[in-house]
Amino acid sequence: MSNTRRLIRQTLTIARRDFTATVFTPTFLLFLFAPFLFMGLSAAIGGMGAASIAERGERALRIVALTAPADRELLFAGDRNLRAMFRDRDAPPALELPATAANDERTARAQLDRRDAQVTAVLYGPLDRPTVLHAPIGTRSAAYLAQLADQGIRLRETGTRPKSTARLVEVKRARAAPLSSDEGGFFAVFALFFLTLLLAGQVVSSMAEERSNKVIEVLAAAVPLESVFLGKLIGMFGVALTFVAFWGTIAANVASVLPGNVGAALAGMAPALGLPTFVMLFVAYFTMAYLLLGAVFLGVGAQASTPREIQMLSLPITIFQVAMFGLASAAAANPGGWVATAAAVFPFSSPFAMAGRAASAPALWPHLLALAWQLGWVALTVAIGARAFRRGVLQSAGPKLKWFRRAAVDTPVS
Amino acid sequence: MLQAPELALQAHGLVKRFGDRRVVDGIDIAVPAGSIYGVLGPNGAGKTTTLRMLLGILEPDEGHRTLLGHARPREASDRVGYLPEERGLYPGMKAREAIAFMGALRGLDWRTGRKRAEAMLEEAGLGHAIDEKIRKLSKGMAQLVQLLGSVVHEPDFIVLDEPFSGLDPVNQNRLEALIHAQRDRGATILFSTHVMAHAERLCDRLTIIARGRARFEGTVADARGTLPYRAHYVPHHAHEGLAALLPADAVREGDGFRFVVPDEGIEPLLSRLLAAGHGISGLSIERPSLHDVFVRIVGPDALEETPA
Repeated sequence: MSNTRRLIRQTLTIARRDFTATVFTPTFLLFLFAPFLFMGLSAAIGGMGAASIAERGERALRIVALTAPADRELLFAGDRNLRAMFRDRDAPPALELPATAANDERTARAQLDRRDAQVTAVLYGPLDRPTVLHAPIGTRSAAYLAQLADQGIRLRETGTRPKSTARLVEVKRARAAPLSSDEGGFFAVFALFFLTLLLAGQVVSSMAEERSNKVIEVLAAAVPLESVFLGKLIGMFGVALTFVAFWGTIAANVASVLPGNVGAALAGMAPALGLPTFVMLFVAYFTMAYLLLGAVFLGVGAQASTPREIQMLSLPITIFQVAMFGLASAAAANPGGWVATAAAVFPFSSPFAMAGRAASAPALWPHLLALAWQLGWVALTVAIGARAFRRGVLQSAGPKLKWFRRAAVDTPVS
Repeated sequence: MLQAPELALQAHGLVKRFGDRRVVDGIDIAVPAGSIYGVLGPNGAGKTTTLRMLLGILEPDEGHRTLLGHARPREASDRVGYLPEERGLYPGMKAREAIAFMGALRGLDWRTGRKRAEAMLEEAGLGHAIDEKIRKLSKGMAQLVQLLGSVVHEPDFIVLDEPFSGLDPVNQNRLEALIHAQRDRGATILFSTHVMAHAERLCDRLTIIARGRARFEGTVADARGTLPYRAHYVPHHAHEGLAALLPADAVREGDGFRFVVPDEGIEPLLSRLLAAGHGISGLSIERPSLHDVFVRIVGPDALEETPA
C-alpha cells in the first residue's frame, strides 16, 4: 500500500472514530437541539422584555399638545394620518390633548414634570408658531409635534377631509428582490460566524479526551500524528456538516410553517448571486472557515495538557474569532471600502467577508479567486497546525515540559 | 557453518536526551525473528523510552534502528502490535469496537476486526463483555481488551511494555499463554518487564538495561551463567572443625550452610567433609536465578535510585 493511501486510510479511521463517538451519543442530540433551546429562551426573554417595555411605554411615554379646543380635532386627524406611516415599534409616543384652557410655558413644563407618565415632548402656543419643550430623549417626539402642528394648520386651511384617496395594491415580484448590500451581507457573515464559532471551537478540546484516557500513545504508535490531526479535523467537520445539514433542512422547510406574510417576505429575499449559487458558496466558505480556524484551534489546543489550560487558550481564540467577525461585518457594511478588501484578503476573515459579498454582489469571479486563495491558506494552515499538533502531543522539543517527555521521566516503570 | 539468525529488529547506539539527561545512552539491541525477547531493567532505566524509539514514536538523538527491514520503523507500523505501558482505551467504546478500532489503525478492515474481536474475547473468557463499554469493565479486563486489540491484526512484531503489571495471577497466566501462541504463530515478541519470573519463563533472549545502558545481552541461561552455582549443605554431624573445611564465604542458614560452589567443583569438598566424619544430611546445588543475576548486574545503587 502506498504511503498516501495508507495516510488516507489512517486519517479516515481516526475521523470515523471521532465522528461516531460524537454523533452517536445522547449528548450530540442535546447539542443538535441546543439552538431550539437557545431560540426558545431568547424568544421568551425577548418577549418578556418587549412586553415589559411596551407595557411601560404604554403607561408612561406620552407626547402632549396644549392647544385651543378648536384645534384639537385638527391635531387628532393629523396624528391619525401621520401615525399611519410608522410601524408600531417606530411610532412616536401616544398623543395627549388635555382639555385645558391653559396654553403657556408653565403648564407645558408642568406636563414634562408629570409623575403619572413620562412625557417626552410638549407643544404649546399657537399652531402657526408653536413652541415645543422636550426632554433629552424627546428630540424625535419634538420634531413629530412640530410636524403635527404644521399638519394641523394645513388641515385647518383645507379641511380634514382627504383631498387625495390613494389605492394601495400589493404586487408580487416576478423576480425576488436582492437583499440590500449591508443587511444581506451581514446576515451571511453572521450565519457563517455563528456556525464556525459553534462548531470549529469544539476541536480545541478534542485532544483532551485522548490525553485524559491515555489513548494518545496507542494512536501515536499506530499512525502518524499528522493523520491524527487530519482525522480529528475531518471527523469534527463531519459533525459540523451533520449539524448544518440538520438545521439547513429545517431552515429550508420552515418558511412553509411561518405566518403568511413572514414566509412571503423570506421567500421574497434573495442573495445577489441567486440562491443555489449562494448556498454552494456558503457551504464552500463554511468549509474553508472551518478548516482554517479548526486547524489553528486544534494545533493550539494540542499545546494544552489540562482542561484548565484549554480554558485559558479558548479565550484568545474566541477573541480572535470575534475580531474576524468584526472585520467581516465592517466589510459587509461597506462593500467598496478598503476594509472590505482587507477582510477579503486576510485569510482568516476572507471566508466570512466573501460570504457576505456573495449575498450582496452579483459577480462570481471574485469568489473563484477567493476560494483558490483560501484553499492555499488551508493547505498552509493545516501543515503548520499539524506540525504544532505534533510538537504539542509528542512534546519532544521546546522549553515546555512536554507530555511524552514527562511520561518518560515521571513514569515509575520505564 | 551456522548462519546468523534473521533479525526482526536491530538497533545500534540509540541515544535519547531529555534536557541534560541521557535517558538512553547508546543501547544496542538485536531481536531474532520468531523469538521472545525481554528488555529488563529497574524503574527509570530507560526501557519505555527505548521501546518508543524502536517503534518510531520517539526519534533517537543518535543511533539508528531497523524494524522488519525498514530503517523508518513507522513504515512497518501495520505489521506491528504495541501495548503501551500507559494503558488507554476510549471509555465509551464497546470492547468489540475498541479491538476492531485498534486493528483498523493498523490496516485491518473493521468487519474482520469485529469478527476476530468476538472470537478472541470468547477465547479469553470475556465473551460476556463483547458489547460492554470499556468504562464498565474492570481494570484487568480492560487491559486484556487492549492487549487483544494490539494483536488483532496478527502482527509480525509485537511490543508489550510491562504487560503483566496490573494483572492478577490468572490473567498473567493467560497472557503468558497468549504470548506463546503469538510466537507459535510466527510473530516476534519484544516485551519489557521488571518481574524476573516472567522473563525467566518466557524469554529466548534478553537485555538488561540500567541507567540508560545495556548491561547484559544474551539468553536466560547465559545470564544465569554469569553467576556461580550455590550450594546448601546440611551436615550429619556438625563436629568442631566443620567451618574450617567449608569455603570462606559459607554462611550458616538454619541447620546448614550456604556457599558458592568452588571453582574446583563440589566433589573434592564433599570428599573432605565425609573423610572428616561430618556426613551429609542434606545437599542441594542451585543455579543462580535471573533475579540474582539482575540484582548483581543492575547493582544495589541503581535499585536504590529507583523511585518507589
